[in-house]
Amino acid sequence: MRELLTYVVNGLAVGCGFALIAAGLVAVHRVTGVVNFAQGMFAVVAGLSASWLLGTGLPHGLSEGAAVLVAAVAGLLTGLLAIGRRGTTPQSALIVTLGVGVLAYAVEIVVWGDQPRSFPGLPGSVSVAGVGVQSQHLLVIAATAVTFALLTTFFGRTYLGKALTACASNPYAARVIGIDVTRMGLLAFVLGGLLGGVAGVLVTPLRPISFDTDVTLIVNGFAAAVFGSLGRAGLALVGALLLGLAESLAAGYGYAAYQLEIALGLMLVIMVVQSTRRTSVLEEPA
Amino acid sequence: MTSPPTGEDAGPRPHGPGGPPAAARDLPHDPPGGARVTPPSTPQDAPAPGPARRAARLLPGLVVGAVTLALPAVLDDSALTVYIFLGLAAMVTVGVSLLMGYAGQVSLGQGAFYAVGGYTAGILAVRGGPPIAGLLAAPVVAAAFAVVVGVPLLRLRGHHLAFATLAMQLIVLSLAGRLAITGGDIGLQAIPPFGWGSFELTGAVGYAYLTWGGVALVMLVTRNVIVSRPGRALRALATSETAAASSGVPVGRYKLVVFALSAAFAGLAGGIYAYYTGYVAPSSFPVLLSIEYIVMAVVGGLGTVWGAVVGAAAITLLVQALNLIGTAPGMPSYAPSVLSYAVYAVVLITVVLFLPRGLFPAAVARLRRAPRP
Amino acid sequence: MTTPAGTGVVEIADLVVRYGSAVALDGVSLSAGRGEMVALLGPNGAGKSTLADTLSGILTPASGTVEVGGRLAHIPEGRQLFPDLSVEDNLRLGGWRSRRRDPAQVYELLPQLAAIRRRLAGVLSGGEQQMVAFGRALMSRPDVLVVDELSLGLAPIVTRDLARHLTQLNAEHGLTVLLIEQNARLAFDVCERAYVLEAGRIVAEGPCAELAESPRVARAYLGGSIEETRK
Repeated sequence: MRELLTYVVNGLAVGCGFALIAAGLVAVHRVTGVVNFAQGMFAVVAGLSASWLLGTGLPHGLSEGAAVLVAAVAGLLTGLLAIGRRGTTPQSALIVTLGVGVLAYAVEIVVWGDQPRSFPGLPGSVSVAGVGVQSQHLLVIAATAVTFALLTTFFGRTYLGKALTACASNPYAARVIGIDVTRMGLLAFVLGGLLGGVAGVLVTPLRPISFDTDVTLIVNGFAAAVFGSLGRAGLALVGALLLGLAESLAAGYGYAAYQLEIALGLMLVIMVVQSTRRTSVLEEPA
Repeated sequence: MTSPPTGEDAGPRPHGPGGPPAAARDLPHDPPGGARVTPPSTPQDAPAPGPARRAARLLPGLVVGAVTLALPAVLDDSALTVYIFLGLAAMVTVGVSLLMGYAGQVSLGQGAFYAVGGYTAGILAVRGGPPIAGLLAAPVVAAAFAVVVGVPLLRLRGHHLAFATLAMQLIVLSLAGRLAITGGDIGLQAIPPFGWGSFELTGAVGYAYLTWGGVALVMLVTRNVIVSRPGRALRALATSETAAASSGVPVGRYKLVVFALSAAFAGLAGGIYAYYTGYVAPSSFPVLLSIEYIVMAVVGGLGTVWGAVVGAAAITLLVQALNLIGTAPGMPSYAPSVLSYAVYAVVLITVVLFLPRGLFPAAVARLRRAPRP
Repeated sequence: MTTPAGTGVVEIADLVVRYGSAVALDGVSLSAGRGEMVALLGPNGAGKSTLADTLSGILTPASGTVEVGGRLAHIPEGRQLFPDLSVEDNLRLGGWRSRRRDPAQVYELLPQLAAIRRRLAGVLSGGEQQMVAFGRALMSRPDVLVVDELSLGLAPIVTRDLARHLTQLNAEHGLTVLLIEQNARLAFDVCERAYVLEAGRIVAEGPCAELAESPRVARAYLGGSIEETRK
């Protein structure tokens, strides 16, 4: 029972990391229709930046904040390449973001080397229901909760957030009323960078990060985003937490080696089931 | 992607941001260029040429064939290795190009089929199976695997399929790294060389001929698929699946066939790879490999047989040249990998954004437009 | 952007718009004076919506000039609301250009919108949606309003109500209106002058009363079928 609680907290923390990546994917996909393969890269860039900044003697908090901003800049640059040129289809843009991810490998190795990096997170542990839980795990969960709350407020309450939703729901109408849809798409990419960056600085203390960790992150993030059909951040959060729990429980009860298969298998099943349902919905009126 | 109601009075009609400009509803117009929708550009429907013109058209092919056959005799061993890897990459790329250009699908997991082929040949060979059986089994098993995973996965489209195939490769690699039959993380070592009866293929020259024989076979098969009736139907598939389906094309079956065919090509290349290097392990088939094939296919122009080979050659040689620079004295140890990552990325992004039809078709078009002397 | 004295608030001269190699508008010239109500008639595919999209800056002309002296708002064909936002949010976003986000004045003008302000735009009836689209366009305090297919798919009573609002705004605030219609009866009722656009060219123009007399226009837009005139 004690182990179970530990695994659950651990799984939730890992799932939170996926959830933030997924939220970035959802934000970009909703506004631009592009699935951003470089979304995992934002987390890597932030994790490596934070570890490097801490190494230069910058204090905690400042380092992480700066690292998240670096990821936001990476988001902007990715967006400029992916949607900056008129007439780029979402499919072409996916391939461009794939290229951006590989380009980032080159930059990351030159700047930070090719070895995994980590940095210490929140030290110590807290007793929850008589079980010791790492403080960093709780920090990850709390920070993710705050980020999602901010995200919900931004999209649901602010004028700019509504404008982003407008671009997602009817880009033509958005242009009719004078909204620059491309600029909004770039804003979504910046948001994706911020979210990926937050994920990176939170998760790196739990799992060391290296330039090619982005593949695991993006695949898990995509799996979570698929839960919400790439359009609903709330469902993506649920998916990510389930994914984290499944992986953590599998690892805890001796199937550590099958973590990846479980996550990916889950994603494939969900996607295939969704596609079946979509087709039947489409066929009904005929 | 959401599919909004389209009725006149059913409310607003959102348009995808990359889709046709909304105002285009007044007029029919070409869809904007993009990797997926770019129709293949091989001129199949040209009127039948006269004998002289047919000979003139065959001439470049013959020259290329002769050079291909002559090259192994003149290349040194390290150049031969490059030549062989180039051929293997070309084999896989022809399949990727067919899949992307004709079935309109992005596979980020083509390396998985390469791995399946490599492991199939490797497993048979280390257990004493006849090499020819291994070489035949590699494409067959890869194609069979593609059919099994393709039935559910090909229901998916666009980025969903891209991620599903990527997931497939990660699962294949993860399983290969753990199963006993595949040798776990260490992989299969000391795979005996390819041979026939008592004859053993040991020198690189032999493998070069084997590889390029495979390339020729793959190109021939692809060419026949493209000019066949199903091939022409497939071309419609790449442009609009709905249109193809409504004109009576069995979309699902054709997609599966192309998927399996592309897997067979990759499997054959993987099989030759296993015999040539004598070693396969999960690290031989990184995710980046699958991305490389996409780069090569996109550079060569999707859905073009020759383009795929040209793309594979261009990228292989470019990376090789950069490798020489990267390993030059005074360069940091990470230089070769950094340079190759950078070049893949820059080439991929540039071609997708600025030459969506691919480098090869663009060059051919330019040559055609140039006045003849 | 200056409007030469004596000419209109909307001045289009020799406008050419292309989609790739297809020509959608081929040398179109049109003008509307301040406070004027002008109709643009034409069959489906004539290029009417292309003209509207060019006026609102969504499409770029291949050649020719488009000058608008003041702020222009555009009610696109098919309403084009944001279905998953509320009526109020739709209206507020209409103020994107003018940076005016309080819909109070629009509610005053169109009280029926105040009653449905919290509902999602996607679930409204066609008439209600057109009203929201109208309100959203007014949020930018336009000097010129381009209305694309006001009457399409709406009950006559709803159309009349909307048309009444248009004429009222025109009379009280000097709003210039460009009414793009297939329904010539409505257009002739409301507007003083009209242009007829066919296959990307202006084929007739003049006061509505005169155009209504023209057998060609009468046959095509007031009774007979379009196919008949093409023969």
